[in-house]
Amino acid sequence: MSGLIEISGLTKAYNKSSIAVNNINLVLPRGRIIGLLGPNGSGKTTLIKMLNGLLTPTQGSIRINGQPVGVETKARVAYLPDRTYLSGGRKIYEILDYFCDFYADFSRERALGMLQNLGISPQARLSTLSKGTREKVQLILVMSRNADLYVLDEPIAGVDPAARDYILRTIINNYNPEATVLISTHLIGDIEQVLDEVIFMRYGCLVLYTSVDNIREQHGKSVDAYFREVFAC
Amino acid sequence: MLGKLIKHEWKNTYKFGLLMLGAVALITFLGWLAFQTPMWNLESGRMSWIDLLGLMTLLMYVMLLFAAHCGVRIYVGVHFYRTMYTDEGYLVHTLPVTKHQILFSKILVGSLWLLFFCIATYLSYFILGVSMISAIMKDEYSLSALWREILPNMGDFLRGFGDALGLDMAWWLVKALVSMVVSPFVFVVTLFGAISLGQLFSRYRVMMAILIYIGILLVNGLLGSLFRSFMSVDSLYGLGGYLDYSTYVSSIVNLLMAVAMYFVSWYVTGRRLNMQ
Repeated sequence: MSGLIEISGLTKAYNKSSIAVNNINLVLPRGRIIGLLGPNGSGKTTLIKMLNGLLTPTQGSIRINGQPVGVETKARVAYLPDRTYLSGGRKIYEILDYFCDFYADFSRERALGMLQNLGISPQARLSTLSKGTREKVQLILVMSRNADLYVLDEPIAGVDPAARDYILRTIINNYNPEATVLISTHLIGDIEQVLDEVIFMRYGCLVLYTSVDNIREQHGKSVDAYFREVFAC
Repeated sequence: MLGKLIKHEWKNTYKFGLLMLGAVALITFLGWLAFQTPMWNLESGRMSWIDLLGLMTLLMYVMLLFAAHCGVRIYVGVHFYRTMYTDEGYLVHTLPVTKHQILFSKILVGSLWLLFFCIATYLSYFILGVSMISAIMKDEYSLSALWREILPNMGDFLRGFGDALGLDMAWWLVKALVSMVVSPFVFVVTLFGAISLGQLFSRYRVMMAILIYIGILLVNGLLGSLFRSFMSVDSLYGLGGYLDYSTYVSSIVNLLMAVAMYFVSWYVTGRRLNMQ
């Protein structure tokens, strides 16, 4: 059976001396939570942007559900970028309307439920919310979709530990078990318990793609400890 | 999906659009005020401080209207840049819609606001013209009497004017009207194309977009002059023919440039997108 994501010979070079992603070949299955791990500048965000059509690959191809990145894949991929992509002037309920209009798999009820749990009013204007709350709102929007692939770029960076727990619970409780979640982060210790598999990247290259159980069994270490060993400076 | 994109684009821009139309109304009121001073009564023959104030108000009318024009154009460009190529672009470019749909919705809404603004400006000129005529007209005449006098002879006047210039005035007016409606679209498409071309550079993308836009204006002017230089005034049956030909040339050059710039935007957003 083919994977959910098929990456073949993928390269992104900004110029001759700056290769952000270098000839990556990877097949990711359905129904897994996968950590995309690597030090700063290892090419994680570049890879994620290419998966979402925000960067044009220099070489190679990506297929999601057998389709090249385009309108069809964007309808099935829920993406949480590492920045606020919502206009601050909008109210939350207006953003919900926006998502309802464009994503057939978006559940307003689920989003409203999560907002209520966090005590965020749908009438609130985004610009009046704190950075952490805005990040939570974005996560709620993404996790309220019934997508095939959730791509989360640094979802727990910049929020307090309590919020991290909430975010991880939200991810686990709301994703479709048939879907795959790809999480990029530096905070490995915080998310390790939810990961099924990990991808290690360095200098734009794929270093390792294996299961979390495999790391624990073969190396007798946690993912965090193994990561520190592999990427020791 | 296109309808939804247009709806949300409209919702995103209507506040600024209405604000600018309100500003034109306010500026027009200023212009009207300028003609309420006694100076315009040609028989009074004296000038007072209030007349000076009137003149300054008129100057302010011109300057504010010019600033509003610049403001609307800058807003349309900045809004496109912000929603396409900054953080907000992360949302727009991950929507399950085609690049043509995104571009079309933005061009349509931006151009419509510009068109409304142009219509409001022409209305403002008209109101100002009426205010001026009212101000300088002698007391025994009324504006409606003047209008009644002009209207029946308007056809003859236009015909006579057209004959003098060697132009079919009715046809020329239709072309002017079409040009007025099309020009906001041409402006917006060209501007968006320049902004998109700026994205092909790895650094200083905004500055490059501005330079490219200035370059496009220069090339446009150069091409127009080149085509016009093929024909002399004599070979085109007088001044009217020359003006007519000149308008044709400008329109064709602008339209060709707009079509080219649309495809530049489409190519950049579809094939060369590199969100920073």
